Amino acid sequence: MIPWDKLHGATTHFPIALLLFSTLCDFVSVTFKKLPFARGLRLVSFYGLAVAAVGSLGAVVSGIALTKGDLWGRGYLGWHHRFVWPAFGLLVALAVWRLVVRDETSRVGLCVYLILMLLASGFVAAAGYFGGEILLSGSGVP
Amino acid sequence: MMTSLEIKGAVAAVVTSVVILLATFTAGGIYRDHRGRETELGNKPLAAEDLAAKGRGFFLRSCAQCHGRDADGGEDAPSLLNLQISGAHMTLVIQSGIKDEMPSFSKKYDAQDTAAIVAYLKSVNKGVLRGGGP
Repeated sequence: MIPWDKLHGATTHFPIALLLFSTLCDFVSVTFKKLPFARGLRLVSFYGLAVAAVGSLGAVVSGIALTKGDLWGRGYLGWHHRFVWPAFGLLVALAVWRLVVRDETSRVGLCVYLILMLLASGFVAAAGYFGGEILLSGSGVP
Repeated sequence: MMTSLEIKGAVAAVVTSVVILLATFTAGGIYRDHRGRETELGNKPLAAEDLAAKGRGFFLRSCAQCHGRDADGGEDAPSLLNLQISGAHMTLVIQSGIKDEMPSFSKKYDAQDTAAIVAYLKSVNKGVLRGGGP
């Protein structure tokens, strides 16, 4: 029998960490765009985002197997899912957009992208928080 | 203004994201139905009430000490009546435990036994088997 709980734990942290780090790199590179490492940070954020998007597939598959296909649920599981699905959709969309556009971004495009990166980071952090609540506090069990 | 490349990228991003989410939800739904059918087939000899009765046996052996004989709570553990969580979530808690509060029962009860306990908990939440069973 495949230990889906352990696999889910092992696969979720990479996309979470990579997305948050990628967002941080983007903001630092925009804030300090005249510094020599700004371009390097943009590259790091691009690859971080791409690997996070690919890694999130593993996290989603193991999560679905763990909950036996329960895509919403109730209590903290429900809250976890309410944040997971928008985060997953945004993460994939942002990675595809970066893949197509690379560094040829306009000011408006970059602004929209950064706002969506912040939003995706918020969703992913909230999903991680409620995922942790399911395991650690046992909430949902009265 | 956004460039045409950015707009093309945005279209590709939205289409890819929607397709992947739809595929995920479809696959998840199929998997859930498949698991449901598998559980039904695996438990064919056991009717829902028999399964819950079997689960009550496990419950009395391992859970009643803390959660009370009728799952209505004890000194150290809360009542399990009026649970607001899904069966999958109950399974997860029984199998994984709760840190510093409840042990994991994954080694003691396999998937079918856990399903029986979940069936019992669902039945007491409906008031079907409360106080009855073996």
